[in-house]
Amino acid sequence: MGSLYSEHRSWLHGVPASVKLLLFALLGTAQYATNKVTLLGAGALVCILLFASLGRAILPARKLLASLLLASLLILAFHVFMKQAVLGWISVLRLLSASLLGIALTLTTRSTDLLEVLERLLSPLQKLGIKTERLALQLAMMLRFTEHFFVVWKRLDEAHRLRTGKAGGLRLLAPLTIQMLTSARRVADTLEMRMGE
Amino acid sequence: MNSSRSLALVSLFAALLAVFGLIPKIDLPLGVPITLQTLGVMLAGCLLGPRRALQAMLLFLLAVALGLPLLSGGRGGLGVFMAPSTGYLVGWPLGALVTGWLMSAFPRSTPRRAAVSAFAASSLGGLLVVHACGVVGLVNIAKLSWTQAFWGTLLFVPGDLLKCAVCALVVHTVARGLPDWNLGGRALK
Repeated sequence: MGSLYSEHRSWLHGVPASVKLLLFALLGTAQYATNKVTLLGAGALVCILLFASLGRAILPARKLLASLLLASLLILAFHVFMKQAVLGWISVLRLLSASLLGIALTLTTRSTDLLEVLERLLSPLQKLGIKTERLALQLAMMLRFTEHFFVVWKRLDEAHRLRTGKAGGLRLLAPLTIQMLTSARRVADTLEMRMGE
Repeated sequence: MNSSRSLALVSLFAALLAVFGLIPKIDLPLGVPITLQTLGVMLAGCLLGPRRALQAMLLFLLAVALGLPLLSGGRGGLGVFMAPSTGYLVGWPLGALVTGWLMSAFPRSTPRRAAVSAFAASSLGGLLVVHACGVVGLVNIAKLSWTQAFWGTLLFVPGDLLKCAVCALVVHTVARGLPDWNLGGRALK
């Protein structure tokens, strides 16, 4: 399972994940401190320039950018139609700024680095008895089994096509779910043997 | 239920939800698309119970936030939490929690009763709660009025009602195929 992380290096790749997360959270929050279109426009321009400065690193996010632009245009058109153009600009500028920052973070930060930051942030919860270190294990298991269940789905679909000549569609949901539940039992037994709880 | 069993169930259900995002969406004649991931929210509540359903949703959304393209259409990253549809995403854990609560409270002694309960629980939790959160998101992020947001979300209700029916059918099959499975959570024997 590949992530949206971009292998094309940019200057933002070198900035530590925790610094980027803090900076982007502050910038994103600042967007909600004002309702002035000029200030929001200036903020959005900074975000656009920051995003553009990533160069070829933004290529994996082409689809996301297209859907972001489409959503922005629809919101603006809707508000113009309702004679609330200013409100439309405010929401579109905020949406663009926050989304571009979020996408920039995703493109330039490995998910493992973000997970590390998250585990550090959650570490105080360990004092309450919450096992935060299991997050990484759960994520790894989830990704491992996403591929597994997709293969199972494909096999079920092929078997259905061979029997009936048609795609399985929604009929395959129940057998796939049962396979997931029985797999969970097997995995749980294995974990119990290894972890002893 | 011990912690390793809980861990396996939560992780594997989150994986199933990710697979639902990889399955091509189905378009209704009206043009309203059906993506299977909201069906996953309903199923999580009905099959895992409230707490584990909530955990599975949070784990899935965490993976999305970390940049994995797991939402239908290959979307992922923090950007998707700042879009007009954010309210619906935030509504998933809450919807799964409510569905699980209701499923554990409703009768489920026979496959047929379980299916009827699953339909009711998913209609209230997976549909009503998720759409309510979606409307709040549309009002706050896309700056629509409450009425506009309400009519906008209503477009997707027929498709989601169909998902509630599919959820009930899946629960019926699970109740027959795995009779020892405690629907609504609590025990994994």
